[in-house]
Amino acid sequence: MSENLLEIEGLRVHFDTLDGPIEALHSVDLKVGHGQIMGLVGESGCGKSVTSLVTIGLATCDVDEGSVKYEGEEMLFTDSVANKKTQDISGWVTSVAVLALIFAFFWMILINPLQGVVLFFMFLLVSTTSWLWGAAAKSEYRRHQKHLRWVRGNEISMIFQEPMTALNPLYTVEKQISEVMRVHDRLVEAETPRYVRVGQALVSPAALIRDAFSSRPQASIATSSVLAFVLVAHLSGFADSAADAVTAPFVFVFRDLFWVLALLLGGYFVPSRSEIEALNALYRPLEYAAPQVPLILAAALVIFLMLWMPLSALLGMAVISTLLALPAIILLDYLRLDPAHTRQVIGILEDVRIPNPSAVVKMYPHELSGGMRQRVMIAMMMSCEPKLLIADEPTTALDVTIQAQILQLMRDLRDEKDTSILLITHDLGVIAEMCDAVTVMYAGSVVESGSIGDVLSRPRMPYSIGLLHSIPTIDEGSDRRDVLPIIPGQVPDPNLHFDGCRFHPRCPFADETCISTPPPMTEVEPGHFAACHHTDSIGENVAEVQAAFDVFAAEYELEGVA
Amino acid sequence: MPDDSKFDEVLIEVEGMRKWFPIKSGMLTTVKSHVRAVDGVDLQVKRGETLGIVGESGCGKTTLGRVILGLTHMTEGSVHYAGEDIRTMTNKDLRRRLQIVFQDPGGSMNPRMSVRSIVGEPLQVNGMAEGAELTQKVADLLDSVGLKREHMNRFPHEFSGGQKQRIALARALSLDPEFILLDEPTSALDVSVQAQVLNLLEEIQEKHGLTFVFITHALNVVNHICDRVAVMYLGKIVEIADTNDLFSEPAHPYTHALMSAIPEPSLEKASRRRIVLSGDVPSPADPPPGCRFHTRCPIAEEGLCDVEEPKLESIGEGHGVACHFPLGPGKKLPILDDDQIPPEDDDKPKTVVL
Repeated sequence: MSENLLEIEGLRVHFDTLDGPIEALHSVDLKVGHGQIMGLVGESGCGKSVTSLVTIGLATCDVDEGSVKYEGEEMLFTDSVANKKTQDISGWVTSVAVLALIFAFFWMILINPLQGVVLFFMFLLVSTTSWLWGAAAKSEYRRHQKHLRWVRGNEISMIFQEPMTALNPLYTVEKQISEVMRVHDRLVEAETPRYVRVGQALVSPAALIRDAFSSRPQASIATSSVLAFVLVAHLSGFADSAADAVTAPFVFVFRDLFWVLALLLGGYFVPSRSEIEALNALYRPLEYAAPQVPLILAAALVIFLMLWMPLSALLGMAVISTLLALPAIILLDYLRLDPAHTRQVIGILEDVRIPNPSAVVKMYPHELSGGMRQRVMIAMMMSCEPKLLIADEPTTALDVTIQAQILQLMRDLRDEKDTSILLITHDLGVIAEMCDAVTVMYAGSVVESGSIGDVLSRPRMPYSIGLLHSIPTIDEGSDRRDVLPIIPGQVPDPNLHFDGCRFHPRCPFADETCISTPPPMTEVEPGHFAACHHTDSIGENVAEVQAAFDVFAAEYELEGVA
Repeated sequence: MPDDSKFDEVLIEVEGMRKWFPIKSGMLTTVKSHVRAVDGVDLQVKRGETLGIVGESGCGKTTLGRVILGLTHMTEGSVHYAGEDIRTMTNKDLRRRLQIVFQDPGGSMNPRMSVRSIVGEPLQVNGMAEGAELTQKVADLLDSVGLKREHMNRFPHEFSGGQKQRIALARALSLDPEFILLDEPTSALDVSVQAQVLNLLEEIQEKHGLTFVFITHALNVVNHICDRVAVMYLGKIVEIADTNDLFSEPAHPYTHALMSAIPEPSLEKASRRRIVLSGDVPSPADPPPGCRFHTRCPIAEEGLCDVEEPKLESIGEGHGVACHFPLGPGKKLPILDDDQIPPEDDDKPKTVVL
């Protein structure tokens, strides 16, 4: 076991685009200790998220150099050159051979059967061999991917910025959390074996009818008496006298019974007494009754059709619809969770302090508020008890009061379970609140890192100072008409090339050295690193730097925004 | 409200404004109940000032703004703009005098229109400029928001978030309005860019003598840009005061909790414990009886707060608060240490289901 849980060293990656490669990260060094909360801060476009995605092997970029070690174990996979070449060649050969195979097939049909068959099997042999050859060369990569899939969830988990897009809107909370646990083999043994559950599902229509009678007895009795009437009418031959489509309505209009039955059946859709009273408080009864008229007419039509049809057709329809519904019933029940698993999920939701968890497990993401959704995300990620939690802007989309709740929850989880957290954010306030150490990133490289006290009270890199400086505060002393201090300009486009420091166009201290030479990462005090040529002159006089920023910003404004 | 010496002319007067959205359901879409987005708001905006409206999401601050602009029709009450009822004003007149900047600058621009047509379209529609004159006007507008003339022929996707927000601002300025509603103009931006945009807003306000209503959920931003602040909770204004008064002496417990919830980038302040409100904002479709905040309030008293709704009452010059037990100089909310924070109750109100 190594000293740090996660160690990233000299990471350099690029994205292949149509306009050529774009280097997203230049040199990233990052260490997260056991049980530590490390903050990763910077403006958007600084490569914070790319760093975290590379760590868990989800980034779509190519790694040029560097290493990511998790508990001393390399997480990045680099194929040997020979292997890569093999895969390339095999890919080409296979695709050409398959084309030739199709060609041979048509040759066989159209020109010469014997030659065609020989060619067909020859190309079949070539394509299969080369495909197998390529697959063998890829086996190591596959093994690594499989290993990463195990690491993700069991060892490292990630919380994303926008919980609504990270959660599936089609499944309930319990289903989504238990899925993670099923994949990672964390579920307890089910209470009811599956074959019992399928059996139960098959008799579930009976349960459905029982439920209907217990929850809405009057309406259910009305419906069943209508159905009984239809059946009796058919069996007694009464329906036959009404079978004429033209005369049938008149028969029933005269006998009144038709309308009584329609009212009864329509009553099935009518709300209960308490609901009616609640509605009557809002609306006058007449307004309420009017919308029910179409329902009653529809019910009358249904009864009319049921009487008009032969009995055999009715029974046939019933049988067919039952048969069609059966697979759906079995599937739906299969999707329902075992009570033991539900209890397990409820326990996890309690851990993240969700009020009333037994109701929340049955809800869909859209029924939850933003803070609750983020809690569900955290619950999902904590369900496999990972050692490292990567939180990518977990509170950016939330209100301040909810943000306070979520931050406190994450801190508590760290204290209880000793989980390390890599917290990615652009809000230095959150960093100050949460982290033990902080790493500042700018345009794809780490520019400053150190303990929270070092970086926040004695920042040495101008970018960190500017960032700290530009946050509006609620100090009583600060006046409304004060001009806010700013860092002029914006993060450079990643495909711009810089010889020297990437921050120099926005930096008040930039000189010739900054433009020509990249600044080395120097240790300005024990455990506190900064990448700047002027760490000595900037020293510890932060106020002076801030003043310099203000002057520089004013000049920059005059030149106009680049 | 007693008048501020600087701003005495009332520009916008909102009286007893309610906006209820119907919840429809069932086979024939009968109206089951209402979401009370804004539920009785009285507000005055004075000419030349910046009024901040602060609150959590779902408290009705955006709806209030949209009603003032005439983008949504109110259910009850009235809004007068410079003495004129906005319901009697023509759309063209309204849009010329009242403008808006939206939260997501990318989403409020047509990606297939160049900056010139985006900024110039209001001018064309109102017949204020054509051809070369239009180009010149657009160039001036871009210049006033810190962009260059060359940017005119580019498309929105070529700009960063902060620059897009500048374009949106130029578009709002194009008709030379008297009033601009800023609906969370900086919440989608990085802090350093946010600072740039806030400075620009102040500069423009001074230059054009504009009146701003600034809707946001970030109190620290409010402190820098607003003269007066109204704090909203569940469709009602719970506190309204001059910025300095509000920040030095918050009287409503909710305001106090909001202020303490802002994370600040300094260690001394981070070590200070904050008041963590439990639970979420209750559903505006079914607001709690009595004081709407009592379900989350640490000092709520049973029998009073959950029964009687507090009125917005003046407790000082220009300082109104709707609370039975307003905080004052000698009275602060208890700030808890880590281990004293009570666990959340299961019977706390359920979440907003919307």
